[in-house]
Amino acid sequence: MSLIPATDIILEGVDLKKHFGGGGLLSSPIIVRAVDGVSLRIRRGETFAVVGESGCGKSTLGRLLLRLIEPTGGDVRFEGRSILSLNKSELRRLRRELQIIFQDPFASLNPRMNVGDIIAEPIWLHNLASGREKRERVADLMATVGLLPTHSDRYPHELSGGQRQRIGIARALAGDPKLIIGDEPVSALDVSIQAQIINLLEDLKDRFGLTLVIVAHDLAVIRHMSDRVAVMYLGEIAEVSDTDALFDDPLHPYTQALLAAIPATSPRNRQPKASLQGDVPNPAAPPSGCRFHTRCPHARALCKEQHPILETAALGRQVACHFWREIQGAGAGSISAPPPTPALARRLELYRIWRERQDKPATTSP
Amino acid sequence: MQRKSARMLYEAAQRKALPAGGVNDCSQEATQPLLNVQNLSIRFDGAPAGVNVVDDVSLSVSRGRTLCIVGESGCGKSVTSLALMGLLTTPPARIVGGSAFFDGRDLLSLPEHERANLRGNRMAMIFQEPMTSLNPAFTIGDQIAEGIIRHRKVSKPEALERALDMLRKVRIPAPEKRLHAYPHEMSGGMRQRVMIAMALGNDPQLLIADEPTTALDVTIQAQILTLIRRLQEETGTAMILITHDLGVVAEVADEVAVMYAGRVVESGPVEAIFDNPQHPYTIGLMGSVPSLGRRQGRLATIRGTVPPAELMPKGCRFAPRCPFSDDLCANDPPPLAQIKPGHGARCWYAPLELHRGAG
Repeated sequence: MSLIPATDIILEGVDLKKHFGGGGLLSSPIIVRAVDGVSLRIRRGETFAVVGESGCGKSTLGRLLLRLIEPTGGDVRFEGRSILSLNKSELRRLRRELQIIFQDPFASLNPRMNVGDIIAEPIWLHNLASGREKRERVADLMATVGLLPTHSDRYPHELSGGQRQRIGIARALAGDPKLIIGDEPVSALDVSIQAQIINLLEDLKDRFGLTLVIVAHDLAVIRHMSDRVAVMYLGEIAEVSDTDALFDDPLHPYTQALLAAIPATSPRNRQPKASLQGDVPNPAAPPSGCRFHTRCPHARALCKEQHPILETAALGRQVACHFWREIQGAGAGSISAPPPTPALARRLELYRIWRERQDKPATTSP
Repeated sequence: MQRKSARMLYEAAQRKALPAGGVNDCSQEATQPLLNVQNLSIRFDGAPAGVNVVDDVSLSVSRGRTLCIVGESGCGKSVTSLALMGLLTTPPARIVGGSAFFDGRDLLSLPEHERANLRGNRMAMIFQEPMTSLNPAFTIGDQIAEGIIRHRKVSKPEALERALDMLRKVRIPAPEKRLHAYPHEMSGGMRQRVMIAMALGNDPQLLIADEPTTALDVTIQAQILTLIRRLQEETGTAMILITHDLGVVAEVADEVAVMYAGRVVESGPVEAIFDNPQHPYTIGLMGSVPSLGRRQGRLATIRGTVPPAELMPKGCRFAPRCPFSDDLCANDPPPLAQIKPGHGARCWYAPLELHRGAG
């Protein structure tokens, strides 16, 4: 990791901590260590994914990286500068460059504003344009994300989930951001709409040279979209790796368990799952030593006592496990999808050909 | 002109596919299915004329088998299951046609008290969000026992004893302790196990599970799917599993019905659906799911969204989004084309390579 030139790192988290609760008149006496010592570096232009189960701290981490919440400890650096020491006007500028898309677009859109106003709001807020220029910009943005001009005077409740997510994306794009964090951006959508939004995000990334950070739990979506992945468990990073390497050869036993739990992609590769036992422990009282040891099939005495550090493996990968070298040989966890049958492959191809033709005459939404 | 030729092609293909006997519904099997739904149609009051929320749906499931109903929001999969359980609220929902024979009796003509005797007894249901289906004010044991007492002549202690057995059966750790726990004291996965224990309390012949793992994390989902499969092997219960997740279908289904906008567009054995999908919607769905293998370019997508009821086409309801559709599709609802015995697709142009070759 240290070999990467500093200019290639767009966003960096340094030993980030976010603890909730713990004293105070109105807060709970129990301390929840939602994010506990996370360091990561996101490269300019990549799609970086953060994956983990509910309660692992992935959404909290996303908010910390944007300074939407203040960290308990650690630092966030955007293009080499700490964003924690910025003054108000600097922070305002930063808000343009770092954007977020939420899981549930309906909850994040003002129900009393129409679509055109919702998209115009950030343009107005950041004094980017006004009058006719603003209206043109809104129209541009709407076309960019695949909304029709007629949607402009509709209200969020009149639109479908996919269209609302497009509004969220248009808003995020309004200030010409450099980096967008998507917090479960497609997980509330139906499969066919999910594919549309994934393609849209990829197109926009290419077109505007964006860096994407995708916080998600769906491993297939992550494999498809991301260049690198960080796997989180109970507020800590278990493994960071190139996506292909992670899926071909997961190093951390938790990553192996996550991959093994993915349902089969075809009835032909059904197999009994040696699935993880038990639930994720309470983040307010995480296990001692390695936090995963209570569910780990490879746990030994040392794991209970000593907290593993995130160490560097081959190919710039990082893994936090005392015994990853030994476990690696066991061949556990790697997943592969069987190739499609000839009939399926032929029909998918046919579908693609006709689908492209369908888009040609009138270019509306992809 | 084009319409006529397509129809002729279609009929010729049908004759070829079925050497004798003629067109049979794909749900007919040698053994009598436990549940046999024929041409079920359900209408919501106030919907435009001719637009049923569930339209001409035929399904069947046999003992020990799992039928997966797969489809996206609004396809009618949940309404169908609620109708089968007798849980539809009328008005606004009304069953306007069809039959649903369960173990030889037509559910749709049974009086309410007889359906109540079946419900939670011979047929049981599991819902997506266990927290909203469990009563927060009663212990787990009381809630499981309630269903047992309703349908069996047993005392409270006997029912609690059975509840404990059920918790063991769904592999809940420390079941004696859990019996006295409240729902909020348990995790999502444990609550879903409790729901399954409740549903199985009276040894149902049919279990309907509506998105049972959608709210769960992937490692917990794997646990619950494994549990469901094992329990089914032990008890021989027939199951209808409703899901939007093709992975879950690949994992547990024996038979599959793909629903789109209230209609079954394709149905057949799970291998046929995955290896030889025929309906453009099924194919589009498969192309929309990211692969777990190495990345293979952009995802295929299905254009647009499901049309609202007032814009629903007369013909094939998928026609406005379908890359292969034409005037015939827009105006005439396609019949179920038999691809092979037991595998059917509602498409004028199945198999596509025959009628819609790359040319």
